[in-house]
Amino acid sequence: MSTSATVNAGGYLENLLAGQPHLPASPLAWLNVLRAEAVDRVGALTVPTLRDEEWRFTDISQLTKMSFHPVRATISLQVADIERFYIEEATTRLVFVDGVYAPQLSSNVSGIGVAVVNLEAGFAAHAAAIEPYLGRLTGFRDNVFAALNTAFLHDAALIVVPRDVEVAVPVHLLFIATQKDVVSYPRCLFLAESGSAVTVIEDYVSLQEDAYFTNAVTEIALIDNARVNHIRVQREGAKAFHIANCAVSLARASNYQSVSVAFGARISRYNLNVQLAEGAECAVDGLALISGRQLADTHTCIDHAQPQAASNQSHKCIVGGSAHAVFNGKVVVRQGAQRTDSKQSNRNLLLTSKAHVDTKPQLEIFADDVKCTHGATIGQLDDEEVFYLRSRGLSDTAARNMLTYAFGAEIIERIPISSLKYQLEQTVLEQTTVQL
Amino acid sequence: MSATLQNLVNQPYKHGFVTSIESDVAPKGLTTDTIRMISAKKKEPEWLLEFRLKSYEAWLKMDEPAWPNVHYPKIDFQAISYYAAPKQKPKLKSMDEVDPELLRTFEKLGVPLHERMALAGVAVDVIFDSVSVATTYKDKLAEVGIIFCSMSEAVLDHPELVKKYLGTVIPTSDNFYAALNSAVFTDGSFCYIPKGVKCPMDLSTYFRINTEESGQFERTLIVAEEGASVSYLEGCTAPAFSSNQLHAAVVELVALDNADIKYSTVQNWYAGDEKGIGGIYNFVTKRGLAKGVNSRISWTQVETGSAITWKYPSCVLLGDNSVGEFYSVAVTNHYQQADTGTKMIHIGKNTRSTIVSKGISAGHSNNSYRGLVKISPSATGARNYSQCDSMLVGHESGAHTFPYIQVANNSSQVEHEASTSKIGEDQLFYFAQRGIDAEAAVSMIINGFCKDVFQQLPMEFAVEATALLSFKLEGSVG
Repeated sequence: MSTSATVNAGGYLENLLAGQPHLPASPLAWLNVLRAEAVDRVGALTVPTLRDEEWRFTDISQLTKMSFHPVRATISLQVADIERFYIEEATTRLVFVDGVYAPQLSSNVSGIGVAVVNLEAGFAAHAAAIEPYLGRLTGFRDNVFAALNTAFLHDAALIVVPRDVEVAVPVHLLFIATQKDVVSYPRCLFLAESGSAVTVIEDYVSLQEDAYFTNAVTEIALIDNARVNHIRVQREGAKAFHIANCAVSLARASNYQSVSVAFGARISRYNLNVQLAEGAECAVDGLALISGRQLADTHTCIDHAQPQAASNQSHKCIVGGSAHAVFNGKVVVRQGAQRTDSKQSNRNLLLTSKAHVDTKPQLEIFADDVKCTHGATIGQLDDEEVFYLRSRGLSDTAARNMLTYAFGAEIIERIPISSLKYQLEQTVLEQTTVQL
Repeated sequence: MSATLQNLVNQPYKHGFVTSIESDVAPKGLTTDTIRMISAKKKEPEWLLEFRLKSYEAWLKMDEPAWPNVHYPKIDFQAISYYAAPKQKPKLKSMDEVDPELLRTFEKLGVPLHERMALAGVAVDVIFDSVSVATTYKDKLAEVGIIFCSMSEAVLDHPELVKKYLGTVIPTSDNFYAALNSAVFTDGSFCYIPKGVKCPMDLSTYFRINTEESGQFERTLIVAEEGASVSYLEGCTAPAFSSNQLHAAVVELVALDNADIKYSTVQNWYAGDEKGIGGIYNFVTKRGLAKGVNSRISWTQVETGSAITWKYPSCVLLGDNSVGEFYSVAVTNHYQQADTGTKMIHIGKNTRSTIVSKGISAGHSNNSYRGLVKISPSATGARNYSQCDSMLVGHESGAHTFPYIQVANNSSQVEHEASTSKIGEDQLFYFAQRGIDAEAAVSMIINGFCKDVFQQLPMEFAVEATALLSFKLEGSVG
């Protein structure tokens, strides 16, 4: 049985690669080389199965049974179709429809003193600046999905914040899925030059409910003292597959704050790798709110490569229906990374008897002068808390909804954009009300 | 300051000596003939030979596990001798009849058997290499119906009990080393506590590997019938050899309704020298089945020896309201590697488990905690608390945790916490202010760090463990 699965999986990757040769060659030689390397890697790798340690709780055989093709023709959307996804504060917006840049829907891309462009438009001015980072931060050698994305790399959301520029307005990157059976390869690269600051919202939404596949890669480079606030919202369609890799590199004394929220998709997987140089700081928070037969998997790796860096992580999962949440949080402290301060907490709330959580908070420490803690809990709503609310006249359902909402709101509270915060809080409220 | 600590840690192995007793050693290599030879030598019944051959077949189809966080050259399983027995002698009734050389060995180890018998009231089932040489206090135990003997004797005298339980907790094909053990095990301990009996004393086995290059394959089976309870101690030392020795033991515990088994280990086998040469490979499978309602299985271990430790004493909590406990201190120094932890498999309702693991790594060593807490859908109302703390001594050592937590129902509570720290300069300074030197201070800090585990040990073991720990880490901190 396993043999036939392997055969299918091989064919699966070939099918996915089928559209790749039709990509127009880039004017940049190194980009063409990069793509060719990625194609080679896809050829050498296989689709991960439950036998791979990194995928042992996430069964993606359903994904390999479906056939997706790259987008052939984009559907032209009107502003009215997507207006509801707009975030009030984020007037600078790049819109990608099924992974393809839609300039007519994007707005205010040049008004804020930084380059917010799609990759093709950015080549002329920024080729030299992005070459060291594009495709280099995400290791696609052993990651078949990152390799696939890189093989199809022709466009991307590119944000280059010049030295000492602090961007006041958040940048909204909106990725909209409109077609079924399509695989899209969204790609982002943020480059925050020394002393700069920026807030970016990476937002995945859908206009239809059929199956499609989003395979995204995001690369973020923070140069000395830069600050990046990264909010990631995954609210894909109910039958979607979402696999994303994000690699963040923090140079000396830079600061990375991220909140990632996963509500949608039938199966979603988010790999986040953060590497910290001396004195860098990061706060990496996440919330997965799933129900029905959804599966949400978050794998993070926080790599303290140099001394005196600090990391703080809080990841929460609210699991209803017969959904399945997976969390694997690895913290590495390398030899010589003294005076590292690392905290991690993973809390999971199981709402139903069929809900299921697999969690693995992992520490790998090679330095002695460090403070590292992690904690994980799995439980349900506290009966005493429910009783307290009921004694104040709330119904059982209302009390439970309120407590579930409060559990998730702790993460959403950390998003610094009030209208988005409000939107997401409403989603949590609605979801919890439906579930109970 | 760190130089002092270095000196303290680098104490030579005090128990490194070879006793020259003529051994009956099988030729190297493993085939079905070797297994038949072992079985024949031990005059085993047919079903046990079949059990061994089935295990051997399963073993042939398996691969050595590659997932543990340990590194060592590949073991040549055909270069090991699978049977070594001190020359057959008539069964002994009193200690006077025991080979004086053997007695001196125990004295060097600090185990005056006479004293133990007299003062501590402990029945020691002495395992010297693979064959049980002397069994004490047997009569006293027999009075209350407890069977405590070597596995070979049990196979001959109580075949129905052995047949009923052997391999039920750890199936022959469970893992590579368990399968190997099931095929070639030579001896071990068997303990049976009948219904309603509380064992009047702590049972103890002293293990010792003696013959150079003989792998030792112990097999231990403890069965506690309904309402029975027993505390079992296992302690180990081994002489210093330059070539690596493989030790692949299997320990199975079965607790029926309301039964209680407490299993404590102090392991201080030869860990190799300060360059990481030599030492024991300790690849052990230990598992307890809490089969009945309200049953309890408790593992306590103090792991200080062995070049490589690969060991996960586990509890399968099958009976409703059953309890599993795991208390562990693992110390690694020089180039030692430890990958140890536990598995708590919750199946019955309202099952509870507690995990307290303390890892201390010094020198160039690597110490990993690897654990699994699995709550099945049927285990409603289950509860787990896990705590695994690591302490690093020196900047060349590594500490790792790999806790797997899998929960599949919404009436269970699982908590896991872990921390990593070091002995701080400020802590040592605090002690120094009060006139306590670095060595004593480190010893106190370490003992405080491990207190939760030591409290679980029976009295004389706790004393031994405390001494062992300070001696192991002498010179490594500061």
